[in-house]
Amino acid sequence: MSTILLVEDDPDIRHLVSYRLGKGGLDVIAVPDGISALREVRTRPPDLVLLDVRMPRMSGIEVCRELRAGPLPADVPIIMLTARSRPQDLEQGYAAGATDYVVKPFSPRELLERVEAALARVAR
Amino acid sequence: MLALFTALIAILAVVVAVTAAGIIVVRVTRRVREAKRTRLAAAPRKALLAFVADNGEEGGDDLVAIPDDAWRAAEPHALALLGKLRGEAHLGLVSVFLRRGTARAALGQLRSRSPIKRARAAQVLGDLEVRRAVPDLCQLLTDRRGEVRVVAVRALGRIGDPAAAWRIISSLDQPDPIPALLASHTLAQLGLGAEVTLSAALDHPQARVRAVCLDALGLLGATGSVDRVSRILREDTHLDVRVAAAVNLGKLGTRSALEPLTHALRESRPTALRAAAARALGDVGAPAAVPTLVNLLGDDAFQVAHEAAHALRRIGPAGLEALRDVVTAEQSRAEAGGAGAHAQRSTAACHAEEALALAGVLSDERVGAAR
Repeated sequence: MSTILLVEDDPDIRHLVSYRLGKGGLDVIAVPDGISALREVRTRPPDLVLLDVRMPRMSGIEVCRELRAGPLPADVPIIMLTARSRPQDLEQGYAAGATDYVVKPFSPRELLERVEAALARVAR
Repeated sequence: MLALFTALIAILAVVVAVTAAGIIVVRVTRRVREAKRTRLAAAPRKALLAFVADNGEEGGDDLVAIPDDAWRAAEPHALALLGKLRGEAHLGLVSVFLRRGTARAALGQLRSRSPIKRARAAQVLGDLEVRRAVPDLCQLLTDRRGEVRVVAVRALGRIGDPAAAWRIISSLDQPDPIPALLASHTLAQLGLGAEVTLSAALDHPQARVRAVCLDALGLLGATGSVDRVSRILREDTHLDVRVAAAVNLGKLGTRSALEPLTHALRESRPTALRAAAARALGDVGAPAAVPTLVNLLGDDAFQVAHEAAHALRRIGPAGLEALRDVVTAEQSRAEAGGAGAHAQRSTAACHAEEALALAGVLSDERVGAAR
């Protein structure tokens, strides 16, 4: 079973995504901020990171950069969850090391499909 | 005297004690109420999240059957979720709200005496995209409270009914109107069905209204209005409106925009308009504009030359080649002219070099992002 690290400060979205991915047969570790995410990655490396961009204390972009700089293996996908869909926002995320984007508002079904597709690409 | 002082102290002590007790009672009451609400909301909230996570396929009837007090406690979470979801999950949640009579209740609240209730009702109707609420929401565009007007216009944008276009435009022509940026984005959200109304409003007597409509047409990509926007660029009496026309012709990006934009670059035109037209030519992105823009690189107005150089950069290969040609020609001139010529570099070459440098940085960033 693949492990997904979900980093999201909104409790409703955290609960919703955990439930949807859990129902899709994935093991989800949900944390509310970037600091907890960095700690979690060191103790239990995930197979994929689902990262909110706008968070308190540390933005998703900063977390992504930190993860890519050390603790996270390079082949582990990072999918950003963001309400900003301008090309420059997406480019900023890709430059920080993100592999894909899901734009809010999102469809839970589409999110699961994107996660599964990213995991399948790594498995190939 | 001492007795009076003692009595005053006693009264003061009683007042302090009563105030402290009052504060404690209010806080405890609030906490108890909050805890009760959280307890009541827990089960519906869980059911709600499971429902949307399953794309609104299962559990709709259970949500409709939740008792009113529990639903009221969970409703803020449900409303917050509406804005975060799309697709089947969003539609499923909307149908639950409609079946529970939320839209009906919100329609009634639009006439509440409380501005908070009016604004909240408008937001709910917008989030639920209730089309039949459009006439009532349009009436809120003249609400005496600015906050209510802003929420109403946002709600109309979410509903996206072009029938609201004229009412939104009319609301701009009043004291303390809604912010221009919000108005143009909302009008654009109404879709191409609003194009005819927006185009007609370009003849509105208020310059601010004309500028907002131009921005909305640009955001919409209303290419059918290029001729009317071009006429405004040529004939409008207000400089800000003409600048808005130039900017939005660039956004519309059709070849028929080239001629009016080139016309607006003439030296007799105001600098702000010429700079906007040069920038817009870059947005159109047509290589046919390259010779015109190259001629502007040496313009006396810094802003015009600067915009021309960056417009050439944004045009792509043809524009970049032209910029390189300018730099190369300058180098040849310097080599031929000796040491003195090196010191006196032309304005055109300076602007071209700056634009090329930025093109290089952006290209490096794109390569880095693709890795």
